[in-house]
Amino acid sequence: MDFTHTIIFLSEGVPLTLSISIISFLAGIAIGLPLAFIRAYENEVSFVVDAYEKIFRGIPEIVLMLLFFFGLGLYFPFPFGNAFFTAAFVLGLRSGANQSQIFRGAIRGVGDEQMIAAQSIGCSKWQAIWHVMVPQVLTFSTPGLGSEYALLIKDSSYVWVIGGLAEIMTRSIWLKNVPPYDVVTPFVFAALLYIVLTFPIALWLDRWGNKRKKKIGL
Amino acid sequence: MTDIVMEARNVYKNYGKLEAVRNVSMQIRKGDIKLIFGPSGSGKSTFLRCMAMLTMPDKGEIYLGEQCLTKPGVDLNKARARIGFVFQHIYLFRHLTALGNVELALRQVLKLPKEEARARALAALKEVKVTECMNKYPNQMSGGQQQRIGIARAIARNPDIILLDEPTSALDPELTGEVIDTLRDLAKEGTTMLIVSHEMPFAREVAEEMIFYDEGSIVETGTPVHFFNGPHSERAKKFMTRIINRTTRE
Repeated sequence: MDFTHTIIFLSEGVPLTLSISIISFLAGIAIGLPLAFIRAYENEVSFVVDAYEKIFRGIPEIVLMLLFFFGLGLYFPFPFGNAFFTAAFVLGLRSGANQSQIFRGAIRGVGDEQMIAAQSIGCSKWQAIWHVMVPQVLTFSTPGLGSEYALLIKDSSYVWVIGGLAEIMTRSIWLKNVPPYDVVTPFVFAALLYIVLTFPIALWLDRWGNKRKKKIGL
Repeated sequence: MTDIVMEARNVYKNYGKLEAVRNVSMQIRKGDIKLIFGPSGSGKSTFLRCMAMLTMPDKGEIYLGEQCLTKPGVDLNKARARIGFVFQHIYLFRHLTALGNVELALRQVLKLPKEEARARALAALKEVKVTECMNKYPNQMSGGQQQRIGIARAIARNPDIILLDEPTSALDPELTGEVIDTLRDLAKEGTTMLIVSHEMPFAREVAEEMIFYDEGSIVETGTPVHFFNGPHSERAKKFMTRIINRTTRE
């Protein structure tokens, strides 16, 4: 395999790396946003959120991945026998724990007054959260969300341990294991690809967020 | 049928050891304009927030018309939709334009159709004379414009009463004038208002009753003439002297 073949072969893993990362990122928002608001406004159950965060931030992704795919997958082949589902699921759960913390800080940053103002016009708590808090919290969170996205792109490489998902990392390891057993080039290209996938989007998100924040004075 | 729009009966609210509201009762009839004034930190704002049930009173009752808001099980969101509230620090929704700020309650709380909500929001903006800012974000407007949007947000849904918590005290004197003009217009239209304010010339002009509030309770009530000619209580006397001196110095 020459350079061109290596780069093409690895690049073909980009869509899969991206889809695992983006789906788990969105799952992370779907989990993290409600958790952050529960933590902020429902004192009685906030311990559940704390426990969730501690568990999923405390266990290495690779352990979770193996546990869910081989462990749960054994007893529940549907859906955990599906490598793609399990990969996105595990990363999504972990990202939800991270994002819950990002959003919690943002809720504090946006401020309680916005909640009170929304309630003063007759909004219910959940209307106030949805129409007033969430849009501002998302804007406020952009730097944190940018690094969370970058983290997911990188962590998607752990899925090579469950095999069968031809994303960038899995492909690099395949290349290492076939003649001419080149242990350098595939990983150098993989590293470059990861940088290309993380850096511009994280930077764009950060810039967009800053511009928006300036505009609305957050 | 009474024409009482809002009533507070023996309301109490403590913050730890601080007694912000201590046995305060008050009746506001349709078309009334009442003005609460007194030293800062005396609990006026807390009382006003209790009236709108934005802060829950510890004891006592709040009535909106015939409905007791302090009973358990009352739909407070529905009640608050009938009470306009204007904040000292304005608290416009930062992510929405002026129009968006005014429309939100009309669309989401009153559930009006899009066109009707738009028309009513525009009418409210027109009333406070800030239609030129309708597509601007709060951060892009002056404090006076922001507060007038705050007033538009409060009046757009035709509430039974508007509670105003020091609507001008966060503004420069220059910007205060435009907000006062807006309030004067509302007064002329017969809007029922309970205002916490230290704008004495304005009070003199529009208020039917002034309420001197200190250390969590009502010390003295009377007409503006009563207060300007000489209130009975020492505390009110002192406060009036200070405020009138300050106003003339300016």
